[in-house]
Amino acid sequence: MTAREAFWIAIEALRAHKLRSFLTLLGVVIATTTLIVVMSVINGMNLYIATHIANLGANVFILDQFNWATSDEEWLKERRRNKPIKLEDYSFLKENLRGYKNIGATAWFRNSFAVRYEGRAMYDVQIRGETPSMIDMEQEQVGTGRYFSQAEYEHSAPVCFIGRDLVDEFFPNVDPLGKVIEVDGLPFRIVGVAQKIGKTLGQSQDDFAQIPLTTLQKFYSARPRLQVHVQAGNAGQMLELEDQVRALMRARHHISYQQTDDFGINASQTIMGLWERLTGSLFAITIGILAVFMVVGGIVIMNIMLASVTERTHEIGIRKSLGARRRDILMQFVIESGVMAGAGGVIGVALALIIAKLVDMVFTASVPLNAVLAGLMLSTGVGLFFGIYPANRASKLDPIEALRTEA
Amino acid sequence: MGSQVAPALGRDVEGAAPSVIIKTEDLWKTYDMGAIQVNALCGVSFQIERGEYVAIMGPSGSGKSTLMNLIGCLDTPTRGEYWLNGRRVSELTDDELAYIRNKEIGFVFQTFNLLSRATALHNVELPLIYNGTPAAERRARAEEALRTVELGDRMEHKPNELSGGQRQRVAIARALVNRPSIILADEPTGNLDTATGDEIMALFDRLNASGNTIVLVTHEHDIAARARRIIHIRDGKVARDEKTGR
Repeated sequence: MTAREAFWIAIEALRAHKLRSFLTLLGVVIATTTLIVVMSVINGMNLYIATHIANLGANVFILDQFNWATSDEEWLKERRRNKPIKLEDYSFLKENLRGYKNIGATAWFRNSFAVRYEGRAMYDVQIRGETPSMIDMEQEQVGTGRYFSQAEYEHSAPVCFIGRDLVDEFFPNVDPLGKVIEVDGLPFRIVGVAQKIGKTLGQSQDDFAQIPLTTLQKFYSARPRLQVHVQAGNAGQMLELEDQVRALMRARHHISYQQTDDFGINASQTIMGLWERLTGSLFAITIGILAVFMVVGGIVIMNIMLASVTERTHEIGIRKSLGARRRDILMQFVIESGVMAGAGGVIGVALALIIAKLVDMVFTASVPLNAVLAGLMLSTGVGLFFGIYPANRASKLDPIEALRTEA
Repeated sequence: MGSQVAPALGRDVEGAAPSVIIKTEDLWKTYDMGAIQVNALCGVSFQIERGEYVAIMGPSGSGKSTLMNLIGCLDTPTRGEYWLNGRRVSELTDDELAYIRNKEIGFVFQTFNLLSRATALHNVELPLIYNGTPAAERRARAEEALRTVELGDRMEHKPNELSGGQRQRVAIARALVNRPSIILADEPTGNLDTATGDEIMALFDRLNASGNTIVLVTHEHDIAARARRIIHIRDGKVARDEKTGR
């Protein structure tokens, strides 16, 4: 008998007991679905983090008061000890750093000021003060108009570069360039609009207004806390530049050699590294739980296969009387068990695809192909493995006894 | 697991002329019932030649079922020798016996023993599946066998859509499909009414006339009388071996 014959016998047996098969497979279905959904969500989040959060720009690292990817303990220590990055620090680095491609600074905070235009108001807009060089390092790109110029920066000009959300709110049908909006009662002329970025983890990234850092300093905050962005010419120069920044900052802050930094240097890799450690442990836990699921599912399958062997003793007798060998019977039941569990895997995959789609609507999920393959192989494998014992029992039945059993 | 490979079979033909299909020599079957041992067969010896139509007859408990199981290679004797078509089959393994059952024996049972979920055609194909016959040839041969038993128009019917006589004819087609050395029928009319039983017996007559060797196990005298030779079994021994003159 070929595996194909056994496959069709298995399909036939499944069709004959649809409800029973389905109930039997519930464990395997749930396990497969969970596996794929979890992998999809993790994968989706990884993609998101990589493209939206850990996307500091090409070969850019950021000097900040804190290290972003760190343990809770370290974080508490840093909060006590680390000093904010000041404008003087930025100027100092700009003068003393060698071999960078770009350097810029940004001070950003989500304030409670309203942004207004002709009687309409928007709250919770991100107001950022930036140096003109920032446009070359950030994910914001000029859509229409321009970024503010060096001259406007030097003169603390009341100009702004806004995100799409503000355009959608204030200028649905009008060209926003040259219009004046009010930020906390002060007028700002719009010089440019950014290209749409989209949402990160459900939060819009287009609700910002960028003004020259000098303007921010003049009107809102005399001593803003900065992030200094440094761009290297290529990836190879990143570490060297980071070391330079570290040495300069340590010298400036008078840190002795045995003390740790009182500032943080952050790069995309740092964030991704932390994130992957996080999702890695999440994934490991999921695998552990799934292993239990699969074993339970497998035992249920084994149980139902044992019942099926008992129920079909007469059939086994008939087959044996017609020349089926032990391994024919063995194969028939192992394949039946594998096909049954595999069908559970297919149902699980289908469910997972639907769930992943729904999750993606409200959060994020992206089904990786290897998760689907892993799900199918794992479920089928469980079926084959747990089918061996019942199938072996079936194959060892005595043909005379089996034939004598009532159908 | 493709086509079935013939296991190494004893081709020990001493004492068996080519025309002899079945030769048993001092067959014993002892069942161990714990404290006591029951002898179901106590030294049965006989020969059946190619083309014969033999009834094995005896009351229940006579050992005729045990004898049929041995002849049908469903079981192995405790002692004694059995040659089937020149092959010594009394000391074969389970899988070798399965091969013999597939190739040499066509079973017809009292209760038909068809797979209830399969069509007549698929039931007849079963023995061919187990020797790896390609699908197209399998189908052609199964159809031919069904036409031989005049069920050419019932091939796609399932057993529960067929009458008792038709079911038994499907079983006979299944027994014929592998062109076995013998057709071994165990009370083939036991579950049929007299008229249908007569039809089935007529079919056996025809099959025998066209050269098939038939061994019929029964306890009914009228049925046994349809054969050309009757071997009477009583208390595990051959009591009488007679020609019926048919």
